[in-house]
Amino acid sequence: MKRAAVIVLLVVVAIPLVLAMADLPPYGSPDSPAYTHVGAYYLEHGVEEAGAENIVTDVILNYRGFDTEGEVTVIFTAMAAVLAVLMASRGGGEAGTRPPLTPPSVVVRFVVRVMAPLTLMFAVYVIMNGHITPGGGFQGGTIVGAVFIALTLVLSERDATRLIPNRPERVLQAAAPIVYCLIGLLGLALFDVYLGYPRTEEMGLLRTAMLVTLEIGIGVGGATVIATIFRTMGSDQ
Amino acid sequence: MSKLFDILLLLLLISCALAVVRMKDLLAATIVFSGYSLVMCLLWVHRGAPDVAMTEAAVGAGVTTVLFLLAISRTARYERR
Repeated sequence: MKRAAVIVLLVVVAIPLVLAMADLPPYGSPDSPAYTHVGAYYLEHGVEEAGAENIVTDVILNYRGFDTEGEVTVIFTAMAAVLAVLMASRGGGEAGTRPPLTPPSVVVRFVVRVMAPLTLMFAVYVIMNGHITPGGGFQGGTIVGAVFIALTLVLSERDATRLIPNRPERVLQAAAPIVYCLIGLLGLALFDVYLGYPRTEEMGLLRTAMLVTLEIGIGVGGATVIATIFRTMGSDQ
Repeated sequence: MSKLFDILLLLLLISCALAVVRMKDLLAATIVFSGYSLVMCLLWVHRGAPDVAMTEAAVGAGVTTVLFLLAISRTARYERR
């Protein structure tokens, strides 16, 4: 009975959805709303006005800079929430209930050791070229975090903690919001607008420098946040 | 050809999603979910959104999976009724 009701409900919801889908413009159609409003302007003027050859970066860091600052803050807050929950549940008698981890096999150790430097190099490339090619701080930072996770599995506990020592870790967690604020204030000082960028080609170097600094800040912050969450969830105390 | 590729990927995506929901073994569900992210990533690339694809591959298939695995290792592997 309940099952039948669910199926009826699903069909009732599905029919208007499918009907509405038929009204959507076809994929890639130049008349679709995505290409006729601000999108068209960004595509035409983005590269010279916002300074990055990758239009996605133009939108994320320049046209929609405020949104990205909020996003960066959300990530930091999420990490703070995770830490608050995990730290609060510490200290009870639960330590030691977990079976000890099996040490990684020779294959895992070898592959991680060979791949880690190469992956790290790729991550740096993704961050530093975020304004030219697809990618940027968020993606590159996540790759750095993944390298950190892989290394933690392979290294001894003492070496793993030395990858990111405790004291700088606490600052680096907030790297993304901090760098974002600094760049925003720089824009305020130079161009009277928070997060303002130079609009002309003559100051293109400064503009690129600001974009790359933002990407680096987001990357470092993201990587540290991932590493911290992993470390806190994985530790036994 | 391109349309066929899309349809195949979408079918794979739907079956992955259904499998994740139905599985009682959370470890297996996590791995299938990582596969779901991988298929999604291919779809993003195919639809011309390489930036999103990179995020999906790094966050969806990579880091989320690891965090889920950690969570499972600290709780239980099988879903209880």
